[in-house]
Formats: sequence, C-alpha cells, structure tokens
Amino acid sequence: MEAQTPPQEPRRLYRSRGDRMIGGVAGGLGRYFKIDPVIVRIAAVALLFFGGVSALAYVAFLLLVPEEPREGAPPPPPVDRNKAATILGIGALILIGGPILIALGLAAAAVALPLAFIVLVGLLVWWLVSGEGPAGGAGDIAKSAALGIGVLLACCVIFVAGFWAAGLGGGTAAAIVVIAAGVTLVVSAFVGGFRLLILPALALALGVGCVSAAGVDLHGGVGEREYTPASAGDLRSEYRLGAGQLVVDLRQTRLPEGDTPLRMELGLGDALLLVPRDVCVASKATIGAGGVDFFDYNNGGLDVDFERRPAAAENGKRVVVDADVGMGAFEVRHNRRDRFDHRRGDEEQDPNTACASA
Amino acid sequence: MRVRRPDLPSLVGGLVIAGLGTVLLLDQSDAIDLRFGTFAPIALAAMGAILVAVGLSRRA
Repeated sequence: MEAQTPPQEPRRLYRSRGDRMIGGVAGGLGRYFKIDPVIVRIAAVALLFFGGVSALAYVAFLLLVPEEPREGAPPPPPVDRNKAATILGIGALILIGGPILIALGLAAAAVALPLAFIVLVGLLVWWLVSGEGPAGGAGDIAKSAALGIGVLLACCVIFVAGFWAAGLGGGTAAAIVVIAAGVTLVVSAFVGGFRLLILPALALALGVGCVSAAGVDLHGGVGEREYTPASAGDLRSEYRLGAGQLVVDLRQTRLPEGDTPLRMELGLGDALLLVPRDVCVASKATIGAGGVDFFDYNNGGLDVDFERRPAAAENGKRVVVDADVGMGAFEVRHNRRDRFDHRRGDEEQDPNTACASA
Repeated sequence: MRVRRPDLPSLVGGLVIAGLGTVLLLDQSDAIDLRFGTFAPIALAAMGAILVAVGLSRRA
C-alpha cells in the first residue's frame, strides 16, 4: 500500500524579507517564478521608460502582496479581501497615479535614452579603437564607454582642426599628415598594431576632405559683414568672407543702366544679396553643401550648381552676380526674410520682374 | 620560423587612410577636382572597409 502524501499547499506570492532593494517585490516575484530577481529588477527599470508601467505595478504589489512570514512563524491565513474594494483601489491608483507616472516616465526617458545612446556610441568607439568589447563589471563597462567618448571627442576636435587648417590654406600639409598617419598604421600592423590612431586619422581626413569637396575657403575673416554701397563706383569687384554672414545690400545703390558685375565669396555661412525691384539679376553660383534661394527658386544639397542668365529689359539695369559658397546658403532677394519665417512672401508673385525674360 | 600575422584593422585602416590622403593631396595639387559626389562614396567605402576589418579581426 502506498504512503499517502499530504496535500501540497498552493504556492503563495510574498514580498521577500531577505532579498529586497525597496519592498522585496522583485525578490518575491523571482522566488515565485523561480527566476533571478535581478532580471525582474532590470525589466522593472526598463518598463519605467514605457510610461512608468512598472512603477504603477510596483505600488500595486506593495499594497496587495503580503510580506513573507518570519522564520518559524506559521504562514498567515488567507486574507479575506473584499474583491470589489481591491479592484476599486487599483482603479483609483491607475486613474490618479497613471498620468503622473507616465509624465515621470517620459521625463526620465528624455534624459536616460540620450544617455544610453551616448554610452553605446562610446562602447562602439572603444571597441573600434581597442578591439575590446564591453566586458567585466559595471565599472569596467563605464570605463570603456568613457574612454570611447573621450576618443570620440578628440576625433571631433581633430575634425574641426583639420577643417579649419585646410580652409585656411593648410590642405596640402594636412593631406601629407593623413598619408603619414596611414603609412604609420600600415607599418604598425606588422609590429602589433596601433589601432588608436585609426579614428583620429580618419577624422582628420574627413575634415580636410569636406573642405576640399565643398571648396571652402576660410580666408577673409569671421563674423557678419554688411555692405551698402551708395553708387556703382563704391562697389567692390569682390566681396569675401571666411565664415559668417555676408550681406551686400544694393537697394539704395544708384546702379547704371546695363550690366553691373559682382562677385561674392563665402567659405561657411550665409551670403545674401539684396536688390531693388527695378533691377534684373543674373547669377551663377556654386555651393559645395547647402542651398540657393533665388527669389522664387530654391534648391539645396551637395555640389549645387546654379545658373540663371535672364536678359535685362531694354535700357534696364542688370546685376550679374557670381557666387561661390563652400558650405551654407546663397540668397538673392528683394527684402530680408525673418530668420525663422520660411514662408514665401509677396516675392513669390513678384520674382525678378525687371528682366525681359526670366 | 613563425611569421607574425599583421593586425588586420591597422593594416586595412592604414591603407585606406593613406589612400584618402593621396586623393586629398591630388585635389590640393589640382590634379583632380574633388567634389562631394566623389568624396562621399570614397569616405563611406573607407569607413566600411575599416569596420569590416575590425569585425573580421574579432572573428579570427
């Protein structure tokens, strides 16, 4: 005859006394589902960024799940909860606490997600330069991410330095430095490698390359330059600026009949030509990266070449502008536009009307 | 005698960067006219080659 086993008690969910960070909820859930409580905690933190769901659930667990009985103490008798009251309580909790937690969750996500992205980028960069993936404890991973971010910042500085050096005429020297760095890397590959040099050398090459590809010339200073010549005699043959905003305002200029040539050169920024409505404008512009805004026409992107050569009306005035912008915008307009207003004004109905053929 | 294997990322990275530098030098000396239409694919290919080399070196 088989011995009868006593009827097994149903498993009960308790909040853990021994394995707790706050209220023992994760410890209790881990024990109940036979999983590591750390996994429960990670899931709870992750769910915080989805509207604070886990925070709400945590509070509900805290209120509804009893603490585990002390060692040797008899298990507590089943609590006769009023189900309706419990459901009402949870409903009230969701209604009152839900929106607050969602807002808090979104605010936390707004900070934590960019931070997580930066850490991941740091780890990726460190993996690229050292070949070491994220390993070890949290401190080791944080150290790898910090080193990666440091390398990335150094690369940004090198990119900008290369950009400015090439823009100011040091392109040949910078290209030679890039070649030397490449040769050093090739040689180092046979004696153990020097991967730390790869990203900085690449950053330098990209900085110089952008200047070369866009044709950026940073000679001519930095800042805002505005020219308002009174007559054609005051006009310069060339208006040049390295970086910033270059404005040539011809609205008050006494221009002669026929063609008035003008040249605008800008390395980086915004070149603006303002013309009166009775003057026809012909233009040829080259923009490495950026856009052209020529009255009612606009176009942008990389390697932008623009040309409009309308003839002036009989005995009319025509400004023939030749513009070269490395990176930025070239604009020809009758009036200044609000910096933040990208809607078309009355010029759309009145583009370059002083020309015989547009 | 055992020949030491070269560090692949350093080798590929070095060749790619030296190549980029040569292109830049040719542009500076007006032998070629570099524009984004040509430089962007070259730069992307260079970065891709370095990433592939780093990935392959981890598998080896």
